[in-house]
Amino acid sequence: MAKGLDIDHLAKLARLNLTADEKVLYSNQLTQVLTYFETLAKADLPAVSDVAMVVSEKALRSDEPGMSLGSDAVTKIAPASHDGQISVPRVVDDES
Amino acid sequence: MAEEIYQLSATEISSRLAAGKLTSRAVVEALIARYHQLNKKIGAFTSLDEKDVLAQADASDARRKTGKVLSPLDGIPVAIKENIAVKGQPLTCSSKMLANLVSPYDAHVVEALKSAGAIIYGRLNMDEFAMGSSTENSAIQKTFNPWDLARIPGGSSGGSAASLASGLVPLALGSDTGGSIRQPASHCGIVGMKPTYGLVSRFGLVAFASSLDQIGPMARTVADCELLLKVLATPDARDMTCFDSTQRSQLPVATEKSLRIGIPKGVLGKGVGAEVAAATQAAIDFYKSKGATIIEVDLPSSELAVPTYYVVATAEASSNLARYDGVRYGHRSSNAKTPIEMMTNSRSEGFGPEVKRRILLGTFVLSAGYADAYYVRALRARSKIRAEHLAALEKVDMILSPTVPTPAFKVGEKVSDPLQLYLEDIFTIPANLAGLPALSVPCGKSGHLPVGFHLVGAPLSESKLFAAAQLFESAHSFANQQPTL
Repeated sequence: MAKGLDIDHLAKLARLNLTADEKVLYSNQLTQVLTYFETLAKADLPAVSDVAMVVSEKALRSDEPGMSLGSDAVTKIAPASHDGQISVPRVVDDES
Repeated sequence: MAEEIYQLSATEISSRLAAGKLTSRAVVEALIARYHQLNKKIGAFTSLDEKDVLAQADASDARRKTGKVLSPLDGIPVAIKENIAVKGQPLTCSSKMLANLVSPYDAHVVEALKSAGAIIYGRLNMDEFAMGSSTENSAIQKTFNPWDLARIPGGSSGGSAASLASGLVPLALGSDTGGSIRQPASHCGIVGMKPTYGLVSRFGLVAFASSLDQIGPMARTVADCELLLKVLATPDARDMTCFDSTQRSQLPVATEKSLRIGIPKGVLGKGVGAEVAAATQAAIDFYKSKGATIIEVDLPSSELAVPTYYVVATAEASSNLARYDGVRYGHRSSNAKTPIEMMTNSRSEGFGPEVKRRILLGTFVLSAGYADAYYVRALRARSKIRAEHLAALEKVDMILSPTVPTPAFKVGEKVSDPLQLYLEDIFTIPANLAGLPALSVPCGKSGHLPVGFHLVGAPLSESKLFAAAQLFESAHSFANQQPTL
C-alpha cells in the first residue's frame, strides 16, 4: 500500500519545502510506517464507521452575541498589520 | 512525612493554608527557590513570571485573611503545559512557529483555575505541538527525567511530569492525544489522568487531533489528581463536544461493592519488560487480595490501535496545522514575495522534523486515491476498538495493563526511529480512540526507574478509577515520591 508515495506531491499539498536529504529521509520513514499500517488493510472491519467523533455532537449552540477579541488584540499578534488590518504580500496583480 | 514545602502534596498544602500554618506566599517563595536550584538541570519549565506568581500568592493570602477563600485550590500553584492558553503569557507549543506568540485569552481550564483561586504558575515544556513521547521534539529545550538525567521524561507532557517529580510544583496540567499525560506520568513516577472525551473543555487548547485531544490533571498523589480534575471538569459552550450540565448529572459515583478488573489476554507478554510485567502482576495480585474479581478480557482489535491512531491523529493534525500559514499569527518568513511563498516558507522554517513528518503522513492518508484505504479504514477500526472496549467494560469495572511496555529510555535512543517511538503508546492509545477515561498510577520500579500501571474505565467513570487507584496507593509507598536531586 505504501506504493504511490510521491514525496514531492505530498510536500506541495502540505505547503512544505523539503531539501534533497529530507525527501530521502521522509520517504524512507513514511514507507516504513505505512508498511506497519498494512495490518489495517488486512483486518476484518465493520462496513461502516460510527465514529468520527466519540461523543454525540450538539451541532449548533444557541446564537447569542458576546464579546470577541477586537481588532487591537488580533493585529497585536499578527506578523504584519496596517490600519487595524492584517497585511500580506500582494495577492492580485495589477491589471495590465 | 515530608517536611520541606516542595515535598508537600497539594492536599497537604491546602489543609495547612486552611489551618493558618502556611501562607501561599511562603509556598510560592519556596518553589521559586527550588526552580532556581533545579530548573536548568531538569528543563521542565520554559518560563516563570516570578513577579506575577508572587502577586497571585499575595492576593490569595489577602482573600484568606478576609474569609473569602474561593476553593480548596485557593493559593496553590498549578503549572500549565505550553499548549494551553494563558492570557498575556507565551503560547509557544514548544515550536519555532509560535515562538513569539503571547496568548490574547485564557483557556476554559485556566479561567476555571483562576475562579478557584489557584495560582497560574509557569509554562511547561513539551514535544512540539504535543507530537512525541520523549519531549525531545521541543524547539525550546530538552527536559530530563528527574530519576535519571540521562533519560527522557516521556512526552508529550514531559515538562509537566518532570516538574512534579522534581518538586518544582505540586499540580500541573497536561494534554493527552494518545498517551501524552499517562506515559510521562509512568516514566516520572507520578499520577496522570486522561478524562473521558468531552469531560474537560478543549477551548484554549491548541488543537493537534481534535477527536482525541483532552486536557487532564497530573499530580504526585491520587487525591491531588482528583482534586484538580474537579476544578477542570465544568461545562463550556465554546467546545461543542464538552458535556453540558445535564450529561454531567449522570456521572456515576464510586461504590463500595467489590471491584471487577479486566486483564487483556496476553497483556504481559511480548514486548513488555520483565520488571514492568512483575510490577503490573503485583498490582493485579494486590487487587485480588482485596477481594477484586480478576477477569481475562478479549480485545482482539488492540493490535490495530497503533496504526489506527497514527492514521486518525496525523490526518486531523495535517488539517489542524494548516492554519499555520504565516498570515494571522505565528512565524512569517521574511523571505517571500508571493502569498504561496509566504505560506510554504513560513511553514518550512517554523515546523520541526516530527511535525513535518506527521503533516506529510496525514496529508498522504487523506489524499485522493488513498483516503479510502487508510483514513476510512482507520475510522472503521476505531469503531471496532470502541465497541470491543465498551463490551468488555460491561463485564468489568475497569481494564488494567502496564502504562508503557518498558521504562524511560536514554535521551537520543529513539530519535531516528519514529516507528519504535510510536510503539511507546501501545497501551494508552485505545482509551483515546474510544474516548474513555484512563489513568496511570505509580506501582514500582524497574531498577531505579519508575513504572506505572494503567486503568481504563467506562465513559464518565473517573471516580471509580480514582477510588481503585486510591486503594492501591494507600497500601503502598509509591505516592508523592521524589528522587534526591
